[in-house]
Amino acid sequence: MKRIILLITLMLSVSAAAKIDLVTLPERDITQMTIYNSADLTLIRDGRSLTLAEGDNRLQFSWAGTLIDPTSLSMLPKAHADKIDVAELTYPARVKNAGIWNIDSEIDGSVPMEITYLTSGLSWRAFYMGTLTEDEKAMRLQGYVRVSNNSGEDYENAQTRLIVGQVHILDQIAELARREQPYGRPGVRPQTQTMTVSNRMVRKRAVMEEAEMVVTRMSAAAPKEIKKEGLSEYFLYTIEGTETIPNTWSKRLPSFEAAEIPVVNLYKHTGPGNRRVYRYLSFKNDDEHKLGETPIPGGNLKVYRTIDDDSHLSYTGTSNFKYIPVGEDVELNLGAVSDVIVEPKMMDYKSDNYRFDRKGNISGWDEIRTVQLTVKNTRDIDVKIELKRNLNTQYWNIKNSGVAKKAYEQVDMDTVKYTLTLEPETEKVVEYVLTTYHGTRTEGRSKSS
Amino acid sequence: MKTRMIILVLVIGAMFAPFAQGRTKLVALPERDATIIRLDNPNATLIEEERVLTLQKGLNKVDFSWKAVSIDADSIRLTVLDHPDKVKLLNVSYPPGEPALVWEIASDGDYAETVRISYLLRNIDRLVTYKAIADKEETQVNLKSYLVLRNFSGEDFEKARVLLDYGEPKDELGIDHEETKRMLFLKSPEVPITKIWTWDAAKLPWDPEELEHRNIGVPVSYRIVNEDKSGLGEFAMAGGKARLFQDDGSGSTIFLGEDNTALIPVGQKTELYVGDSRDIVVTQRKMKDDKIPVHKNNKDQVVLYKTNEVITAKIENFKDKPATLTMIQHIGGQWEMKECTLDGKKVKYNRKDASTLEFEIELEARSDDGPAERNLKMHYNRLNVRP
Repeated sequence: MKRIILLITLMLSVSAAAKIDLVTLPERDITQMTIYNSADLTLIRDGRSLTLAEGDNRLQFSWAGTLIDPTSLSMLPKAHADKIDVAELTYPARVKNAGIWNIDSEIDGSVPMEITYLTSGLSWRAFYMGTLTEDEKAMRLQGYVRVSNNSGEDYENAQTRLIVGQVHILDQIAELARREQPYGRPGVRPQTQTMTVSNRMVRKRAVMEEAEMVVTRMSAAAPKEIKKEGLSEYFLYTIEGTETIPNTWSKRLPSFEAAEIPVVNLYKHTGPGNRRVYRYLSFKNDDEHKLGETPIPGGNLKVYRTIDDDSHLSYTGTSNFKYIPVGEDVELNLGAVSDVIVEPKMMDYKSDNYRFDRKGNISGWDEIRTVQLTVKNTRDIDVKIELKRNLNTQYWNIKNSGVAKKAYEQVDMDTVKYTLTLEPETEKVVEYVLTTYHGTRTEGRSKSS
Repeated sequence: MKTRMIILVLVIGAMFAPFAQGRTKLVALPERDATIIRLDNPNATLIEEERVLTLQKGLNKVDFSWKAVSIDADSIRLTVLDHPDKVKLLNVSYPPGEPALVWEIASDGDYAETVRISYLLRNIDRLVTYKAIADKEETQVNLKSYLVLRNFSGEDFEKARVLLDYGEPKDELGIDHEETKRMLFLKSPEVPITKIWTWDAAKLPWDPEELEHRNIGVPVSYRIVNEDKSGLGEFAMAGGKARLFQDDGSGSTIFLGEDNTALIPVGQKTELYVGDSRDIVVTQRKMKDDKIPVHKNNKDQVVLYKTNEVITAKIENFKDKPATLTMIQHIGGQWEMKECTLDGKKVKYNRKDASTLEFEIELEARSDDGPAERNLKMHYNRLNVRP
């Protein structure tokens, strides 16, 4: 539905009494939507050719039923900029969702003008499908974006651009759109309009849920390209050509595809408190992994595995991941598994080096534990596993033996990590002796970095 | 229809008007002439209006009333402009139960006297907002400032001059009750900006690995200085909401973000927080925290000790452009830096106050091998710590 209406009232300033109202409804020439996903916010750029008369022109712009932030409205001439003065914007008294621009023009004729504003109600999100090869050494990654329009306005043949990034805003655009007065009243905290709009939104959402359908591209012979470029701290995706997304509809578009991304099957075990082993898929957003062209926007990934030559699939798991900059390692948590097993065991415990105070009470001692972590890979593929241990104190010392020596790394003052690679259907044992210091034995001592 | 709530009535022959029997309001309603809405004080708006009073020789009474309009009665002033020596305001009286006052004016002749009435009017004010469009390289912004006039005073102003504490006086304009008007009043097309990334150890999480599904955004700000070089610097810039956009290099813009600025005095800077960068990642860890006894009491208990602490921070730049990160660290209490290095080399910091350290860390752009990485290490003792 078209709710945004632009009326031109030509006010010939020949005489105050002879006010001639000429009204025309110029059509949109160009529409561009720049949709954000970190906030409910879209920048609309609306190009129209206006027929101006020399002198004062009054232009009425109304947007009832939409979610436009009236304070964001802006108009600029795209030609004859020095001869056209967009002097002021008036939000008339007791009229809602309308503004009147006063334009002082030295031009008599058609002028391309651009109206920009922020609206709420349009959104996009990224989601992904991953398909692992049978040996799980590589994954085909397909990225999609889904653009939804709940703005109250139909956007036809609009250039669609998506912004990846975290934008800082002070007020929600939806709140600004619902205000009784665009800038509020003096001395009063801005109040939002009555429930009508939000009710409408709720209804709309219900309708949307019923009618929600994904429009795949069928008409075009090839899927549309998405141009990606960095701007400031953001990434801008520009979808080739234009899109028509009616109000309450949404649209799915492919954003990228990378075949044969080498992946590491990473498993993690975090310690005695949690016996479970979690599976991660690890790769890097770089050239080597057939990626690295742009950051990857955060979203949900569903991972499948090819199980036979007939391309049948098995569902492996799902993971939400965060924004991944170019060059960063990715670790996708696919959840707990039972085919890689970690068995922690304390093999020996003793205490030693007792210290006593002047009253003869114990003031310090050491505790010495011998720990064995047995790691079993029951799978038919190579796996990498990380065993992280929090030692609960910064006063400690570790002696590693066997495989533990090479696998060891100190993370911070009270955390250590062992990283191992296991061949199919093998097991390894990490063994270490941990000494912790207590009471006066801690004095002047800690594991140094 | 115009809302006229402020009414001025000239009562002729008031000398004979029987006060006790109600006030007789007769005669001409002098029209408002030059009207000024003065918005230089953000807390109150001063209205100055000129009217011509047809005065008769002797005592005149002028009735000034305001209904449904919030005027501070004590703020009302009357200034005689044409014959200040010959026309004298004798007294002001307030009728009971009415938002009105009566001026008693003595005139030594028959004059069409211009007077200026001024008063503080509530519910009419102004906001200032900014719109800035940065160039693609983010070196400068095209800054525009708008004055937003909000009139909810109950009174329509058909023609008034709106004055700020600075800038050119606007042309006369009309503003009705419940009307809001937005006007461009300041343009500076080439204001240099400095882009700043700030990582504050007290505000942001230290270890991004702990947050599996969430990015830590490093706040990004634009710094603007109110000075000549910016095409500004003539007057203090009012505080208000600023929206920032960026030219995308293909005839369009993107919205970068918005922030409130406080008043910016001449020569001072403002920093506008635009958004967060997820391409600069800081991983900070405490690698050591030892307690070293300094003194024990007779019972062999430690009563004074010092600490030996090591903090490391890995800073990675995943951007394809270099950046300067402002890193803010906090060390409480009495402390002494033993060693402070960046990539193993001694590094300087600014001590902002007793417990705040500020580092300026230059980051190169990422390379084909991955992010540009720098490593900060702070080794310090905290002294005279009492358990």
